[in-house]
Amino acid sequence: MDRTSLVLEDVAFADILEGIRANWSGGQVVGLVGPNGAGKSTLLRILAGVRRPTRGRVWVQGQLVDQISPKLRARLVAYLPQQIPDDTAFTVEQYVEMGRFAHRTLWGGLDTASRAAVDEAIERVNLLPLRRARLDRISGGERQRAGIARCLAQGSPIILLDEPIANLDVHYQLDILLHLQTLAEQGWLVVLAIHHLEFAAQYCDRLLLLHAGRIYAEGRPSDVLSEQALQEVFRVEARTYADPYGGHLRVSYST
Amino acid sequence: MRRARPGWVFGLLGAALLIGAALELSLGPVVIPVRQLIPDAWRYFHGLQDTNAVVIGAIRLPRLVVAALVGAGLATTGAVLQAVFRNPMADPSVIGVSSGASLGAVLTIQLGLSQLNRWTTPVGAFVSALVVVFVIYRIATVQGRTSIYSLLLSGVAFSTLCSSIVTLILSLAPLETMQQMLFWLMGGLDGSSWQEGLSLFAFLTVGMAVYLTQAHALDVLSLGEEQAEGVGVAPQRTKQIVLVTAALMVGACVSATGVIGFVGLVVPHLLRIWLGPANRRLIVASAMGGAVLMLFSDLVARMILLPAELNVGIITSCIGAPFFLFLLRRQESSSF
Repeated sequence: MDRTSLVLEDVAFADILEGIRANWSGGQVVGLVGPNGAGKSTLLRILAGVRRPTRGRVWVQGQLVDQISPKLRARLVAYLPQQIPDDTAFTVEQYVEMGRFAHRTLWGGLDTASRAAVDEAIERVNLLPLRRARLDRISGGERQRAGIARCLAQGSPIILLDEPIANLDVHYQLDILLHLQTLAEQGWLVVLAIHHLEFAAQYCDRLLLLHAGRIYAEGRPSDVLSEQALQEVFRVEARTYADPYGGHLRVSYST
Repeated sequence: MRRARPGWVFGLLGAALLIGAALELSLGPVVIPVRQLIPDAWRYFHGLQDTNAVVIGAIRLPRLVVAALVGAGLATTGAVLQAVFRNPMADPSVIGVSSGASLGAVLTIQLGLSQLNRWTTPVGAFVSALVVVFVIYRIATVQGRTSIYSLLLSGVAFSTLCSSIVTLILSLAPLETMQQMLFWLMGGLDGSSWQEGLSLFAFLTVGMAVYLTQAHALDVLSLGEEQAEGVGVAPQRTKQIVLVTAALMVGACVSATGVIGFVGLVVPHLLRIWLGPANRRLIVASAMGGAVLMLFSDLVARMILLPAELNVGIITSCIGAPFFLFLLRRQESSSF
């Protein structure tokens, strides 16, 4: 897993993104932060190979992302869009199985490795009791967890998640973030868009702060989330300080 | 509604198929007892020409084969079109593909191409079905999502346009050509031959195999293109493969029996309620269900005004049109 890498060379997309450079390797959680409309989702789509950048290049494991076949790409990069479908009658289990599409056998079956990956992913997000429930009959948070399970089941060394904890209660927010951290410790590269700045600071190894489609800052969370950045990028007055219990960054917003 | 166990659904479909086949073979102006069916067919295939053997072997059996295959072809095509368009109202006849196929066929007759060999008319039907399906897809799909309204409206527009051109060609054609066209357009199962059954079988086997290879990709695609791309599906390629195959299937079916409406709408929709949306299971079940619906519709069409015979499309439309309207009313609240 030591070859896991994601490199962006001067990536631009229409008038949404400009001059994005980064070089991430496996073993870390990278948080994309920034206000609404800063380009986080578009950047994730480009990283996933779902959108072609209008300029620049994206390398996944040393290969150009738009020159590898969709199936091979899916084996390298798992991508979870922001919207998990809520109008489908597929069950949680069927949905998670879709994560194994690139691993299906010639006749479309799931081999034992795939079965095990699906079971493990469903168990990981605590959806075993709901595995036969329909996606349109469960809550938004449960759907989100199903989406994360689909992504985990895919078994790709790079995982891209667009606001994966947006609809979750605090228990599952922490649970999912901790799990992503564990994956990173095992060599995975996790890139996620995240709005919750304190969680971003606590659970991400690196942050990339986007402002109007450009990189405002990139690096360790405590360096990226400066009081000046909060004011210039998010237009909020805030003080930052180290949490007295854990030492990670806290933000105190002044009204 | 609770989902049924797949075993039950397939068992019921199998039983219905057997019963439908037995009745289709047994009933008619000459009633042949069910226990006589196999011996009669046996005699026909061993060269005996008594009345019952000929009625079974040369008339009813090929008719049964063509009816079942056309039903299977239309229903499976309906199932995959519904998945591609992410829309439960998609059906070859509703979205204008069937009328497109008719137009192509009539054109080849008008231009004298049908004289060349027996494949030019089916190929014409296939090509124009293909054109219509792609144009409608282009018009009705915005950012990967096909709106039900633009799908139905562009389908109506194209159906009407194609039918008008067919009428125009008919009214301008010389009498002999016109008869040939009408014979082709009316289609129906009357006079189905073994040759027709065999070429249908060839087309449908290939088409259904293609559908089955795309079933898992269609599952993911029905959740949206971003989800699909995220797990390794190539949405455009999947859609192109399925739409070309669908045009081929509709072309083959329309060539055999003329336009038969609503089979592709009713069958997959009902089965999706019982079996869930997974396409592989749904395609196999739709093939069986489509055959069942066609066999029973044909039975009604042949028996209701005995000895006269109705076109089977009338019966499927009588079943399908109210169902279609019911769906349209329910549509807003339902999950696909």
